[in-house]
Amino acid sequence: MRRNSTRAYIANLVASPGAIPFALLITAWILIPLFINVPPYALPKIEDVFGQVVLGIQDGSLPRDILDSLERLLLGFCIGNAFAIPLGIAIALNRRISCLLIPVLTFLQSIGGIAWVPLAVLWLGIGPGAVLFVIANQIFFSSVYNTVNGVRTIPLALHRAILCHGARGVQILSELVLPGALIQILVGLRTSMAYGWRALVAAEMIAGTNGIGFRMIEAVQWYQTDTVLIGMIVIGVIWVLMDWLVFSKLEQITVVRWGLLREVA
Amino acid sequence: MSASVEGSATHATTFRTTRRNLEPVLLGTVGVLSLLAVWQLIARVSSIPRYFFPSPADVVRAGIELVQKGILPVYIADSLGRYLAGVSLGVSIGLILGLGIGMSPRLSRLLQPILNFFYAIVEVAWIPIFVIWWGYGLKTIVLALTYVVIFPVLFNTATAVRSTPRILINAVSSLGATRMQVLRQVILPGALPGIITGIRIGAGFAFRGLIFAEMVAAKTGVGYLILTSAANHATDRTIVGMIIIGLLWLMIDQLYLRPFEAATIERWGLVHDATE
Repeated sequence: MRRNSTRAYIANLVASPGAIPFALLITAWILIPLFINVPPYALPKIEDVFGQVVLGIQDGSLPRDILDSLERLLLGFCIGNAFAIPLGIAIALNRRISCLLIPVLTFLQSIGGIAWVPLAVLWLGIGPGAVLFVIANQIFFSSVYNTVNGVRTIPLALHRAILCHGARGVQILSELVLPGALIQILVGLRTSMAYGWRALVAAEMIAGTNGIGFRMIEAVQWYQTDTVLIGMIVIGVIWVLMDWLVFSKLEQITVVRWGLLREVA
Repeated sequence: MSASVEGSATHATTFRTTRRNLEPVLLGTVGVLSLLAVWQLIARVSSIPRYFFPSPADVVRAGIELVQKGILPVYIADSLGRYLAGVSLGVSIGLILGLGIGMSPRLSRLLQPILNFFYAIVEVAWIPIFVIWWGYGLKTIVLALTYVVIFPVLFNTATAVRSTPRILINAVSSLGATRMQVLRQVILPGALPGIITGIRIGAGFAFRGLIFAEMVAAKTGVGYLILTSAANHATDRTIVGMIIIGLLWLMIDQLYLRPFEAATIERWGLVHDATE
């Protein structure tokens, strides 16, 4: 009887072997401080970290930091894309604009958002302004190219067809360019979010006065490793949720519904 | 050679094509120059203090000074050394893990969830705890870069290995190839484009990571240069550093990664075979 249940247990574990590394990791985290003398600043006890999470939720500081960071990310995302998508479409549709701007944009893009942090701090001061500047900058450059590519890969035949049928101006945009480039634009939004998320955390660490990144770098100075670990876990969890809930859903309600991409069964 | 008509026609087309080839270059130059002109004009005409908004001329002067004092070459060498160390370490680990996960479904089921979990904790978030563990310096930076590179290489390699047609593996195996030969003759060449894509993505993230890590955890390097210069109101030096960062990345991407991609894929005959 007993042997049977052990067997079932093992069979279960084997069926979902992905849990094993997590279990090992947590066991190691619990066991290491018992056998080796690790100072708590190097590896805080697991219960301390959880205690800190509960404390952070109770006094509201953890949710506040998360909301501050997310709000900034969302704002930067909107600002960056509000410039990037129209500009990307203009570049893709007009060869002159493209020739004029591509070299400058390529160079500015290769500088990368994070390298703007020192200038942003100088111009806007340490705080939310500088962080927002860096995120919007990063997201803008990640998004432009995907928009350009999206519009450029629309088959020329479709373009000619819609012109033959007498579409003009805004109609071309709303009937051909936007739906045609949508998949690529969505890919661009997703990638730009990945870069923007890194830029957000990085910028908050150097130039922030609040948010998760700031809380982590502040904790380093006091050797509060538990706070640093919480920050890491929060960053991981938020990213997974964002990618999974927001973007997969967004893809479903737009692209799949409009029949541009068949749902893979 | 049916004389003049055809001759002038070819002449006309070549003329038109050269004009067409020149136009992007001309317009691109106009774009860059007008940006510089507007920048210089704003810095000259407005009364914005120089430390706040230096002109292109100031930046050029600061650049020459940094080179003459020997600061810039040393910093660039430091940055590139760290970058190279981190990327090569990351590529090696990512490649081995990726091949393992790609070839063994059991290993994939075991490791995929935890790898996804760690992938979500971006390298930027690891730097604070690396600083606590190893202090400011080389080890922290190189390991952070290694961490960034591992995942794109790993995931792309695994996907590429998995998509190797089963029939090819079976064919080579039935001809008597050992597992090692299958790996070297079939799986690696087939997975190569995927692996290279992974390396390019990883190298891109790692370059951003390098600049950030140097701002937080270094006392030399280009990232350190731009942050301290701005803190000391030597903004012209910050902009020199940013231009260097842009040029370095363009160089790495255009001179190494892209040609590398083209060369390996062509040499292994993956592109030619497809067209023939």
